[in-house]
Amino acid sequence: MKHKATRVFLLFVIVVAVATSVFGKDDDFNSVVKLIEQYYNVKHQGIPFLARAGMKVVGAAAKVKGGQMKRLAELGSVKVAMFENQEFAGDFLKFRATLNNNLKDIWMPLVQTISTEEDEQSYIFVKEKGDKFNVLIVNLSPREGPVVQATLSSKNLALLLKDPEGTGRAISEEATIFDN
Amino acid sequence: MKSLIRTFMKRHTLAALVLLVSVTAATAQDPRIQMAHLDHLAAKANETVDVSVDERLIKLAAKVFNDKDVDEAAIKKLVMGLKGIYVKSFEFDADNIFSNADVDTIRTQLKAPSWSRLVNVTSKREGTVEVYVSLVGEDINGLTVLSIEPRELTVVNIVGPVDLEKLAQLEGNLGIPELGIRGNKKKNDDEK
Repeated sequence: MKHKATRVFLLFVIVVAVATSVFGKDDDFNSVVKLIEQYYNVKHQGIPFLARAGMKVVGAAAKVKGGQMKRLAELGSVKVAMFENQEFAGDFLKFRATLNNNLKDIWMPLVQTISTEEDEQSYIFVKEKGDKFNVLIVNLSPREGPVVQATLSSKNLALLLKDPEGTGRAISEEATIFDN
Repeated sequence: MKSLIRTFMKRHTLAALVLLVSVTAATAQDPRIQMAHLDHLAAKANETVDVSVDERLIKLAAKVFNDKDVDEAAIKKLVMGLKGIYVKSFEFDADNIFSNADVDTIRTQLKAPSWSRLVNVTSKREGTVEVYVSLVGEDINGLTVLSIEPRELTVVNIVGPVDLEKLAQLEGNLGIPELGIRGNKKKNDDEK
């Protein structure tokens, strides 16, 4: 009886630990996508649709500062949600504040750019993930809005820190390159 | 009884004053400046850039910059000991969109005795460039650059031991814009 109780307790601990790791750490990507959907009343296209459209989620090479072709995201680590031909009409300052507020406890903001002329918003956040690093990039423009989360090696995080805008753009492009 | 109350009040007033003075002193020495007052300009600006490299990110930077890479080793050396790098920059499509009152929300935080404005500073930028350093004794513990052009307003606030030479080396890295700031030390020496 005592052994059974111990086993149940251990099972409970494992379930809680797994749930925490899934929903506590890695679910920020989904919550950011949901936040965009709710705030702007838009809908994203999921990865399966984009995969059918011939999208290469990983493995694309991107050009970064210095002119070298490098692979930035770790293989298999990229999450992408794409908002295409959607209107992001709303107070962008309020959106920025909400986004920052939602992520502030775990993610570190790096660079945030707003262009009212081009109607674009760009946000880059970083957090540690074991001996690697996660980057979350949100780019909203009138034509398209990719949200990208990827894992970076320390070498590529160094590139991102040196040139946040250039490397952030390269990571985003790398994650959303189409075959056509 | 009255004298007991008076003594009690005196002691507590004194304690409150000591606390107030220490809090004020601590606040006055904090070289992190508040830039949120400028956020409303984002709605009027063509482009707004907001860089926030806090102490956690600086520690990460120190960890990931490779000592064998000359550039990275140099940046690593520069950022060691820094506690934050904060940049806000606004570009407008017409002159005078922002007011003196907007700029004064920053200038009022850069007052003596905590802050001193550096003279003999030049920049490749047009308009006015003001550089302020925060001093604790003889040591710099913060630096703020205010670059004011008719169509552009940039504030750079670096928290930690930094000087003009370090700033010049950090320009173009970690989101710090190219300000082309140089101290005219030679000119000063010539004048002596």
